[in-house]
Amino acid sequence: MHRIYWLALLLTMVIGSALSVIYVKHESRILFAELRNTQKLQDQEVIEWGRLQLQNSTLATHSNVESRARKTLKMRLPEEVQVVQLP
Amino acid sequence: MSDTEDRAIFYTGRHYFVLFLLLCLLAALIGRALYLQIVEKDFLVDQGGQRQIRTIETPAYRGTIFDRFGTPLAISTPVDSVWVNPAEILQNLPALKKVVAKLELDYRETVDLLKQKANKEFVYLKRQLEPELANRVANGVDGVYLKREYHRFYPAGEVVSHLVGFTDIDDRGQEGLELMYDGWLKAQPGKRRVIRNRRGAVVEDIAQVKRAQSGNDLTTSIDMRLQYIAYRSLARAMKYHAAKSGSAVMLDIKTGEILAMVNKPSYNPNQHKNMDPSQRRNRALTDVFEPGSAIKPFTLAAAIDRGLYSQKSQIDTSPGWLMVSGYPVKDVRNYGKLDLAGILRKSSNVGASLIARSMQKSELWQSFSDYGFGQTPGVSFPAESPGYFSHYSQWQPLDHATMGFGYGLSLSITQLARAYAVIANRGRRLDINLIKQDPGELLDNEISRHVMKASTANMVLQMMEQVVGPKGTAKQAAVAGYRIAGKTGTVKKNVDGGYQKDDYMAIFAGIAPVSNPRLVMAVVIDEPTQNGYYGGQVAAPVFQEVMSNALRILDIAPDNLPTLQARLVDQGA
Repeated sequence: MHRIYWLALLLTMVIGSALSVIYVKHESRILFAELRNTQKLQDQEVIEWGRLQLQNSTLATHSNVESRARKTLKMRLPEEVQVVQLP
Repeated sequence: MSDTEDRAIFYTGRHYFVLFLLLCLLAALIGRALYLQIVEKDFLVDQGGQRQIRTIETPAYRGTIFDRFGTPLAISTPVDSVWVNPAEILQNLPALKKVVAKLELDYRETVDLLKQKANKEFVYLKRQLEPELANRVANGVDGVYLKREYHRFYPAGEVVSHLVGFTDIDDRGQEGLELMYDGWLKAQPGKRRVIRNRRGAVVEDIAQVKRAQSGNDLTTSIDMRLQYIAYRSLARAMKYHAAKSGSAVMLDIKTGEILAMVNKPSYNPNQHKNMDPSQRRNRALTDVFEPGSAIKPFTLAAAIDRGLYSQKSQIDTSPGWLMVSGYPVKDVRNYGKLDLAGILRKSSNVGASLIARSMQKSELWQSFSDYGFGQTPGVSFPAESPGYFSHYSQWQPLDHATMGFGYGLSLSITQLARAYAVIANRGRRLDINLIKQDPGELLDNEISRHVMKASTANMVLQMMEQVVGPKGTAKQAAVAGYRIAGKTGTVKKNVDGGYQKDDYMAIFAGIAPVSNPRLVMAVVIDEPTQNGYYGGQVAAPVFQEVMSNALRILDIAPDNLPTLQARLVDQGA
């Protein structure tokens, strides 16, 4: 009798293990798909970051900044008499 | 009971027959299974793998090049290249036609090209497209694929192109820092083995064959604000004087870092095809010239260092010329008796020759070598030149005299700037650098070599200040509010061993501020043909413009503001 119980137990465990393999495999594929999506997202963000950096450097070109400062904001260099040195 | 027994006996034969058949079937199945599992296993696994497992490339970026404050100078952005397998796509011409139209290619030509390459498996249709466009083109079309690549952008364009250089379409450095630091910047794309499903989507990662290794970033010593001002100023001067080419270099003497290095003519590194190679040279490091009078401070320094002259020494330069082995060394006119400062201020060739000849050849050679003449600036830039400075054993008596005023040797503008940094640094020679230095590494520079006595350097600095003063040759180099020291040079060009009558190079090198030197800048302009050609007329104004901006931008306190000092006194009283 004992032997039958043992067999039954082992059988359940084998089947349980087989099912869990299936489950884990499935889970890993889902997670992997998620990882791929995240990587794609990261890729897109990198593209965007590069684009923004380029845009930033175009807008912040020194010639651009200087002409805006001079024309739009009417900025100029102080003359010597206007310079005050703080002690 | 007997009935059932009879029946049982009756059916026994059939029973075993059926059992036998079943066993045969079972044996056949097991045999087949064993055959597949043992004999054909490798073949089958291989075939299965071929249908499912792919090796794909994982992308990695080439490092970004920055200026010292993190402004990008060269940056890689992802792009996609469209490729096809000719055998596949030629079976689906309508799809190809659509793709070709979207890529704005010629349909006939493309088909011809693909037919030519029909035995290949990989043909680029178009390289380096924006990822969005590439996706729209290739999405859902069988036989059309994308390959991720990186395109290098140079936001600062021509302003810093000689320094940064550029890469080719396969992301390999071709010029400048891109070439010099290719190994450091280079990305190593990784490889992974994956399982793909029927639709081609990756469903499982099996193994990483090679780790993707992105390139390292590089932070240069360049200050883009100064670089831009220097470039603009040089370009303006070159246009005004209708000059052939020009270069300028600015050094931070405390750290030896190159803050700005500009050349004209320049080029746009974003579109460098069909370009004249002469535009590509980083002249500041590759082109050498005879420095002429700009070298006189060093002749004086070498002699003062050896105790041959003092501040009060008088040198008789009359009658304004000097015969050396049959050749005349001439001044513009007879200056008579001059002190050392006077020799610099008037830029007397006779005086400089006499001082040079007061030293042994070997002494002059040793000092000039110590100041870095004949030695590369040491930034390991491609094609960086050490200039020309022959060993004293090869000097003729005339060479000995002309060395004193800068003929018979040649150097690059960067070498000249480095030599001026020796004077600015109270006699210490620094290593110069194109890469931003860690404060920790500066300790090495702190114990840099003394190649000139501090007292000598100070004395020469004071004399050079007079050159920029009201009686000097470089009044136009003066910067309001600051004490400036410098020296001009106007050199006749030596082409193929003969001096050209009307071809000049205008040179100016200067130091600011004199009371506590921080910056050195050297400018050379080649063949100015209009509005003057003297160093003081052509190169000094470039120095003035760039230096006045640099002193303000770097927040260096003025050391020469009489009105300011007066006001301070007022407030104090």
